[in-house]
Amino acid sequence: MKYLIGLGLGAVLGALASQTPAMAQSGPACPVKLGGILPLTGSMGPVGKRISDSAQLAVEHVNAGGGVKGCPVQFILRDDQGQSTVGVDAAKFLVDVERVSAITGTVSSGVTLPILVSVAAPSKIPLVSCCSTAATFTTLAQEGKTGGFFFRTLPTVKTQAYASAAIAAERGFKRISVIYINTDFGTGMVKDFIKAVEKLGPKVVKTVAYNENQPSYRAEVNVALAEKPDAVFFVAFPQDGATMTREWVSLGGTQNMILNNSLRSPEYVKSVGPKFLQNAYGMDNASVSGPTVEAFKTLFQAKYNQSPDGPGIYNQYDAVIALGLAMNIAPNLTGDSIRDSIRKIQTAGGTVVGTGPDEFKKALALIKEGKPIKYVGATGPLEFDANGDVSGAALIWTVKGDNLAVDRTLTVEDMNALMKKIDG
Amino acid sequence: MIGLLSYLVFFAIIVLILGVATLGLNLQWGTTGLFNAGVVGFYAIGGYAFAILCAPPRPELMANFGLPWIVGIIGAMAASALAALIIGLLTIRLRGDYLAITTFGVAVSIQLVTLNWEALTGGSLGLTTIPRPAAGLFDSSLSANIFYLALTLGATALVYWGLESIIRSPWGRVLKAIREDETAAIALGKDARLFRLQSFVLGSTIIGFAGALYVSFIGFVSPFDFAPILTFQIWTMLIVGGSGNNKGALLGAFIVWGLWSASGTFISMALPAAYQTQGGAVQSILIGLVLVCTLLFRPRGLIGEQPTVSRHLAS
Repeated sequence: MKYLIGLGLGAVLGALASQTPAMAQSGPACPVKLGGILPLTGSMGPVGKRISDSAQLAVEHVNAGGGVKGCPVQFILRDDQGQSTVGVDAAKFLVDVERVSAITGTVSSGVTLPILVSVAAPSKIPLVSCCSTAATFTTLAQEGKTGGFFFRTLPTVKTQAYASAAIAAERGFKRISVIYINTDFGTGMVKDFIKAVEKLGPKVVKTVAYNENQPSYRAEVNVALAEKPDAVFFVAFPQDGATMTREWVSLGGTQNMILNNSLRSPEYVKSVGPKFLQNAYGMDNASVSGPTVEAFKTLFQAKYNQSPDGPGIYNQYDAVIALGLAMNIAPNLTGDSIRDSIRKIQTAGGTVVGTGPDEFKKALALIKEGKPIKYVGATGPLEFDANGDVSGAALIWTVKGDNLAVDRTLTVEDMNALMKKIDG
Repeated sequence: MIGLLSYLVFFAIIVLILGVATLGLNLQWGTTGLFNAGVVGFYAIGGYAFAILCAPPRPELMANFGLPWIVGIIGAMAASALAALIIGLLTIRLRGDYLAITTFGVAVSIQLVTLNWEALTGGSLGLTTIPRPAAGLFDSSLSANIFYLALTLGATALVYWGLESIIRSPWGRVLKAIREDETAAIALGKDARLFRLQSFVLGSTIIGFAGALYVSFIGFVSPFDFAPILTFQIWTMLIVGGSGNNKGALLGAFIVWGLWSASGTFISMALPAAYQTQGGAVQSILIGLVLVCTLLFRPRGLIGEQPTVSRHLAS
């Protein structure tokens, strides 16, 4: 107790003594620090670990390509454990003590939002998330509550929801049941999906929310089955999703399955059994094809001996590279200048730069000459709108034999047409 | 230097808020022996009640009144007290592990209600732009945080002082008597059930107060802030610090939260970049290890309960 009071008093006195404005950062001090907050343990751990591999790879590429303003980038990664208090504490430490120039993270919107409103925005530190999908970020940005410091490299759930609805209509499904994870991600997805399917023809006959980490989802599956649907839409994460899908199949549910992007993982396919998934399809964001995407895939495969297919991996790479480029374009490394420079990585008519260390080096040379660049990343061209959101292409995937396969992609133009059709 | 100070202020605020919640639990478990495994439920009620009363109105939400800070705090305490009274009346006959299971279930239900009653709680999107007291008066986030630290420090001191005095009062002695031997207490003419209920409600009110302080500090609330792990953390704080001792409860909050946060820093500094991805797992193991060691070597906590001896006997 005495210690705590002492600490408190010391803090108050210290602050009175130092009522001067925070020291202006002059010239970059090597190394340039970049903070990362991702869930490495907890229920999102398996997803988060691979995402942080991707972040590490991107930092390596930035350093191999020349770093930031001649300095190497030091990436400081912290675990948020999927708990908001832990994530906020880590963010505060990164910003105040480590004095990072920017932060990338995190996965759950429920952790990213408190970090944004209580740490990043008040301290004017840009926060670039790979994976937080909640619509709240857009609303807050529109109200000016984020100070423009929030960016995310994955399209909002709308892209995915509309794309899956379009394919459902195309395949001629009439009655669809939905089982979804009860998070902002799940509810957002279902809301948009219902809006889209009802416009395109099929009907959603039942929606069932489920809560994570349960040993069985028999009750939810039974409720969804009761309406005798001819297709089912699972919005779930791999572990729970696999449990649920096995129960669905064993209780005689249809194999016309629609799967969300998180289920695009080899572990999910393996634990359900590929033979039950031959009629299933899913969607994922943006992994547009093209040389920059292939280059990233090859580099990731070479480094980790694993395919980069899975939620958030492509997006996280782009989050780090976008920050790396913006920090080089920015006149100095204050949060304000990085924020204002982040949209300059995508200048109309600029020279195209792609993924990998050599392309980063090329980008640095162009920036040094004062020439505009156009970054085409692991998720394709990355263009942040006024709210820090990106729009993107959707990808339809299926299971062929034992493996995940890409069926086709809906380009940005296709998606824009679809949005027009649904939103009017 | 300013950075470190700014972080320490932030850290101290979180410790104090968790400390208040631990004090509430200490009244229930440490003093009365009520096994409340639903700490996070009351913490959530306090937090949400505060948010609903104080956040500015939004068209899609039915409540959000934009009331002054102090009204929100009082409302949050009243809401947790009311919830505890209802739950208490229904469950107070239950002892030990039965009460634990029931309160755990209640906490999970409360979290599910916050997740699903979208019109009131914003559902999984949560409630945003929750105000802090006197937010407009400060130009830097550091001075605003120092003000909030002073506020939480005052609140903690008040709760600590209040609990110390009532535990030393005849009322507090009855609680301890019930904890030690309920039948004996009843034989002495004490209405054990009433006392247990009072202790349960008062403790839960304090926990709800802590929840309101937390939500007001962060400025955002969503169901993900109230995962069951928080109950476990607050319990750990109490057990490590020393159950039955209010100083122990506060020390435990400091030690355990410090461990949680310092281990992350330590891991990110100690591990080479290539292994940082594995750092999260190492951190969890480290936390578990330190906790197990504390319990092995100091089974009564760092500062255990002080033995109570009658004044007349002592002299």
